[in-house]
Amino acid sequence: MQESAAASEPVSEREVTITRTFDAPARLLFEAYSKPEHIKRWFGPKGWPVTMCEMDFCVGGKFRFAMTGPSGKQNTPFGGEYLDIVPNRKIVYDNGFESEGAGRMVVTVTFDELEGGKTKLTIHTVFESIAMRNSHVSLGFEQGTNSGLDQLAELTADLAARNA
Amino acid sequence: MAQNSAAEGLDRVFAALSDPTRRAILARLAQGEATVNELVEPFGFSQPTISKHLKVLESAGLVARGKSAQFRPVRLNAAPLAAAAEWLGTYEEFWAESLDRLDDYVKVMQQKEKRHAGKRCGK
Repeated sequence: MQESAAASEPVSEREVTITRTFDAPARLLFEAYSKPEHIKRWFGPKGWPVTMCEMDFCVGGKFRFAMTGPSGKQNTPFGGEYLDIVPNRKIVYDNGFESEGAGRMVVTVTFDELEGGKTKLTIHTVFESIAMRNSHVSLGFEQGTNSGLDQLAELTADLAARNA
Repeated sequence: MAQNSAAEGLDRVFAALSDPTRRAILARLAQGEATVNELVEPFGFSQPTISKHLKVLESAGLVARGKSAQFRPVRLNAAPLAAAAEWLGTYEEFWAESLDRLDDYVKVMQQKEKRHAGKRCGK
């Protein structure tokens, strides 16, 4: 099906890597990823709390999250399966929104301990297709778009509230 | 390919939103419908330019044109925006904000560990 078409697209054009160095040991960051009570405290942008968080944190286990946006309505759930888990080192999962036509992505999170008690977190995402990557990342968006998007987010919330 | 139509629709919405003039047009229409002439004035673009932007917005389903009236007023159609709401921030933004929160949260976790460090439960 489409998968064969997408698989022929080079990975380098449908991946995104995000890194951050934390002043914390890898085991704590791993722990923060591994339980719903932790996930709810940090996952998602400000103003978009995780209001549904089901997870079976083991290889082959499933997870299912949903966030509630400024409009107060719970957004489309997303989730997938834990494909690989190496304690304090690595978590691999596949993920996607539960909506028709939404693509899948495979996310590899690695926890690399550095000197001085610091840990480098790397989130490597491979999207199903280049088109999916481009619709998710800022590629193709000009600078300064974010404030426009913020305004639109407000506008959308406002409209949603009015139509409710 | 039907399976892809939602994603393609979303792509069109995002492409439409990627232009500041088009976002400004949407913000104007959020206040009420307007004719093309009424849109030309505040933006200082020619009518063909505005019409071109409107076509992009129309194909993304973000605006609709009146059929009956001579001036075919343009109005905002908010439904695709609502569908796009869960994506409005970019993927990088999503993670930048999440990781800011994670940074704060691991500090809380570390504090807790320290508090418990001295306690022995005799195991």
